[in-house]
Amino acid sequence: MRIKIPGLYIVLCVVLAGLIHIVAVLTLPALAPKNAQARLAALGPANTMIELPAAAPGRQAMPMMAPDVRYAFCRFDLTNGPIRLSATIADDLWLIGLYTAEGDNFYAVAGADLKKRDVQFVIVAPDQTVEEAGVDSPETSEEILVVNSPVTEGIAMIRAPLKGPSRAERADEALKTTSCGPYTKAG
Amino acid sequence: MRSLAYFIGTFAVALMLGIGSAWYMIEQGSPLTTTKVGPWASWNALGNPTADPYTKAHLARSGRLPLTSTVARYFVARADSAGHGLTSACEYLIVGSPINARWWSVALYDDNGSLIENPSQRYSFNSEEMLSHADGTYRIHVARAARPENWLPSGDDTDRNLVLMLRIYSPRDTDSLGIGLVPDDRLPTIERLSCE
Repeated sequence: MRIKIPGLYIVLCVVLAGLIHIVAVLTLPALAPKNAQARLAALGPANTMIELPAAAPGRQAMPMMAPDVRYAFCRFDLTNGPIRLSATIADDLWLIGLYTAEGDNFYAVAGADLKKRDVQFVIVAPDQTVEEAGVDSPETSEEILVVNSPVTEGIAMIRAPLKGPSRAERADEALKTTSCGPYTKAG
Repeated sequence: MRSLAYFIGTFAVALMLGIGSAWYMIEQGSPLTTTKVGPWASWNALGNPTADPYTKAHLARSGRLPLTSTVARYFVARADSAGHGLTSACEYLIVGSPINARWWSVALYDDNGSLIENPSQRYSFNSEEMLSHADGTYRIHVARAARPENWLPSGDDTDRNLVLMLRIYSPRDTDSLGIGLVPDDRLPTIERLSCE
């Protein structure tokens, strides 16, 4: 009897530890106070393109940001309708990524994979539809891409990797011409 | 009375084991979630919407917004090739070969993921600006004092833990799922030269 009781407690301990482990792993993403969404939300309003200052010591919006990449982001909120993200892709190296608030990168495209320099991304929530004239039409000068977002609130981030420090200014200029705002049919 | 003590003891041990194992698998990774090649570790599904709960928890804690593995791969080193932790008290030589990708970069941080202050404002070297040899290989010195070729300054303090990140954008080789492939021999070695 004296041996049997500790054995039972060991089994109980292992089962309990397993349950605590699972609960901890599943609740942690919701409890992490300083995820990327929280850090970026502190920098400005939603549905606006915001360019991040070049990463430098003591001036980083997020940990481990690339010092040789320029970033611009737009926190999109599709509650009142789709969002239009316009950009003139200045370089094949550019990367455009769309994220959920939890940081799931549900859409990503490189500048080199886009057919035209002037690109518009129309971000659409699951219950929304857009009838955009000119989608896939070869006559227009712009490339229009409709992206279905699985969430109503998320983040669009444009990365402009630099070919060298001397290119930083030009990348900053190019990122300034990108925009993000409510979608209107006339565009 | 004794069974109550047993029960409290059981609960305390279970709490430590459960939280401890969760913390370890989220912070350090495990063979389920990470690939380790020499000193480099990469979370296989980082940023991927279908990632497992450990990877998602790691991402939330990291505060980062990484690109999914079909367009970018990230490798992190906290130790040299011999397994000793990277510190600003030591000088390191990173030796590597070119990577088949549109753009890649090696950057140096402290263990909070912050860039390290230095007079030359040099925090990284990327594929476009790196000085490399005729055969494409490159050498990066991580040191407090200036070094020839590619010098990544590790700051003034001698007690700082260092973290290296190799980010690879648009790898040209991909597997059947479109995930960027980086052959093991393309990841640079990190050799410790001397310590203060």
